[in-house]
Amino acid sequence: MQHGYWIRSKPIYHSLAWQYKAQAHVLLASGEGGRSVLRLYQQRLPDQPVTVLYLPAENEDYSAPLVTVVGTSLQVFPDARELWQRFDQVLQQSRMGTRLYAAGTESFLWQATTLAVKHGVLNADVMREQPASLARPVYCVHCKTTTHGVTTNIAVCAGCQRHLFVRDHFSRRLGAYMGLMIDAEDPGNVPDAEEVYP
Amino acid sequence: MSALNVIVSNIELVADGIRHFTFIAADGGELPGFSGGSHVVVSMPAGNRTYRNAYSLLSSPADRSNYQIAVRLQEQSRGGSRFMHEQVKVGTRLDISWPVNLFPISRVGHQHILVAGGIGITPFMSQVHDLLRTGAGFELHYAFRSPRHAGFIDQLKQLLGNKLVCHDQSQGQILDLHALLSRQPLGTHVYVCGPDGMVDALIATAHELGWPDAHIHNEEFLAPPVGEPFTIRLRQSQKNVDVGAEVSMLEAMEAAGVDVPYLCRGGACGRCELEVLATDGVIEHHDHYLSDAEKGAGKKIMPCVSRAKCSFIELNL
Amino acid sequence: MNNLAYKHETFRDDYTYRNSPDAIRRFPFPFAEDHYMYSVNIEQHQPGAKGSIVEHAFDIDEHYVSECEDKLITLGQDKGRYAALPHMMDAQWDFLELSMESLSRDYPHLFTLTKDGERWTWRNGPLGIEDSFVFGDAATLPLEPFEYMGRQVQGDFVLLDQREGTLFADAGFITSQADWSLAFDVGMSWHEWHGPVPQVEKMGIMDRALKFLMSLQQGNPVRRLNWTMTINPRLDTSPEHFPEWGPDKLKVTAQNAGEKAHLRVELQTMFRLPRSNAILFSIRCYLISLEELATYPRWAKRFHRVLRDLHPDLLEYKGIKVYHEAVLAWLSQHDDGAELALGAHPE
Repeated sequence: MQHGYWIRSKPIYHSLAWQYKAQAHVLLASGEGGRSVLRLYQQRLPDQPVTVLYLPAENEDYSAPLVTVVGTSLQVFPDARELWQRFDQVLQQSRMGTRLYAAGTESFLWQATTLAVKHGVLNADVMREQPASLARPVYCVHCKTTTHGVTTNIAVCAGCQRHLFVRDHFSRRLGAYMGLMIDAEDPGNVPDAEEVYP
Repeated sequence: MSALNVIVSNIELVADGIRHFTFIAADGGELPGFSGGSHVVVSMPAGNRTYRNAYSLLSSPADRSNYQIAVRLQEQSRGGSRFMHEQVKVGTRLDISWPVNLFPISRVGHQHILVAGGIGITPFMSQVHDLLRTGAGFELHYAFRSPRHAGFIDQLKQLLGNKLVCHDQSQGQILDLHALLSRQPLGTHVYVCGPDGMVDALIATAHELGWPDAHIHNEEFLAPPVGEPFTIRLRQSQKNVDVGAEVSMLEAMEAAGVDVPYLCRGGACGRCELEVLATDGVIEHHDHYLSDAEKGAGKKIMPCVSRAKCSFIELNL
Repeated sequence: MNNLAYKHETFRDDYTYRNSPDAIRRFPFPFAEDHYMYSVNIEQHQPGAKGSIVEHAFDIDEHYVSECEDKLITLGQDKGRYAALPHMMDAQWDFLELSMESLSRDYPHLFTLTKDGERWTWRNGPLGIEDSFVFGDAATLPLEPFEYMGRQVQGDFVLLDQREGTLFADAGFITSQADWSLAFDVGMSWHEWHGPVPQVEKMGIMDRALKFLMSLQQGNPVRRLNWTMTINPRLDTSPEHFPEWGPDKLKVTAQNAGEKAHLRVELQTMFRLPRSNAILFSIRCYLISLEELATYPRWAKRFHRVLRDLHPDLLEYKGIKVYHEAVLAWLSQHDDGAELALGAHPE
């Protein structure tokens, strides 16, 4: 976090809410995002067809209640590759007026958005909810590797092992925050990392 | 703002009440390039006043040897379209602005649906050239009252083949907006230009079907409406400018030698926005630019199309 | 006339870059007053005084050949300094056309462009380049059109696509940036891209600048100056290579600041492009050491006062904080406190 000013590239997330003017609805969720889908189903259901694609995570598996609540509109996937493949097909067949919703980790939200953008969807057309962890995907500007699930303000890059300061500056195209070597000016002088994105 | 000096090289009647003008550069050289959907503002010196109207460029952007515009004679013309129809001849010299594009094709769109009603075909005339050149997927839907009202129809048929879909109302062919907008793949953008009723119906249908706003594009240039006369007080330049019933605030200030920046002169672009300091009446906002909240607050005005019902309005200029 | 006897000099390692007296004299010193605050400060980019940096659309100066060589070194180390999203091809050709037509018109003894319909031939004397190609057919050029000419014009370039009520930085050629990353920022909207600029949001300046640029007209380009500081005459002060240049910031002392610390001024010019309706944002970097700057005493005095009173957020954002005191100590020797007339002129 940086003090003094708010960085406007940082995305703001909302609780999912049905967009009732629509031709169809496609929901994409992973892990804790399953709870967001359950919460959405507490609201009045829309008249149009709904498709829910769900990827359970370790210790975060809402498949059972989702089967009960969502019924035949639900598809559960054993791994991410199959989920993205299916989502790609769904996008291919969808018409304008199909509302897109995503809930999950920040990495997941932007993987979903990036795939949709390949089909001509605009960033703003996707409604996103970040239900639980604030963990960040961090892009290392030095070696261009993205490290996922960063919960601290300073993190070790999975690619080049540099200590990166996690800036609030966010790229929607990369789906990640900027990471910049923290001890570049004074090598070896790395402050203690603090958990600020639990 | 620098102007382009052009000479009228050809005039044709292309449909009932619609004249088609061709301009070439007065110096005989090339005219500036432009992108599909662009317009120019034509200055028309009529006696002691100058009209300035925006007209879409019709020709292929790749052809810099000439510009083409179409002007429909407006029945309630304040004088601009009548000037173009009655005063302008082959050989007439005119000043026009550099091309401006307020109605561009989205370059990130995957499919484009163009919907024209009557004279609203004009901004699409240049866009189809760009779409053909880049190979983007598109359809042009052209609705008109009868073949007599369908300007450029032969040219479009030849250029577009089955990408052109005509809706001839005299043959009972009604454009079914709901059917059209409900069958488009994700990533489609829709563009509309035509009578108010058609534009409103298309936007409402798209919203009802769940199209996000950023995929819906419309061009609505307004002609400045007439009203009652009033006076503008300019705070900084310490001038009073009288606005006649049939003159816009912008035109009145220009005639008084006040330099006001502008682009579209149709209430769309926001360039001529001015700050209102006081008035003893009510502002009549006619633009599409200010939000409802801004219009309600009464602190801003677009002098190209808006006016006031008052004896005076004071502006920070 | 600007002296075009190109110098062989370096912007890295041994840093042999220096300004001739002529180059110092035409340096775009940006401070007309003793106090600096961020502003839009945009003016028409009309041809300026003969010999000045704004005489022509694009300024070519004594550093031309060495700067173009430095671009190639940086690109060789990191291909990500050039990026163009696929929908920007029309804007790429617009850039090629604007740069070739401007350079051949303004510097006919250095650059020539001949056209035979769509068949164009480009000759760049100083860099020894000659190519014939078909305008609009990227396969006939050795590189994409934007990268091809980006390598042959001093400065950095961003192409902005206008849609969704804003501008998107959808292509860039960036080798001399003041600490921002093209690989990270490409594709961002205006407000995302300027997200890290402090003290600015609250004044609504970015909103006003956006509104202004969205209605920028063909045939009416505009310009503004921006500034920061750089230690050593280094063009590539990128976040990517921060580990290479960051440590230099801690080596500045009151004794060596005159030689090491440089004022870095960007001439930013903005053009509406015809085919694409995109905006070209060009960022041309001028570097001058404090010693060179102090050859005009009023510049040293004024810069001392500006830096002394700069808002802490701006010191942080511009990365000056770590060597602020050393630079002030060096500059204070040149400031007798005498009142200075308004204006950025050298004498």
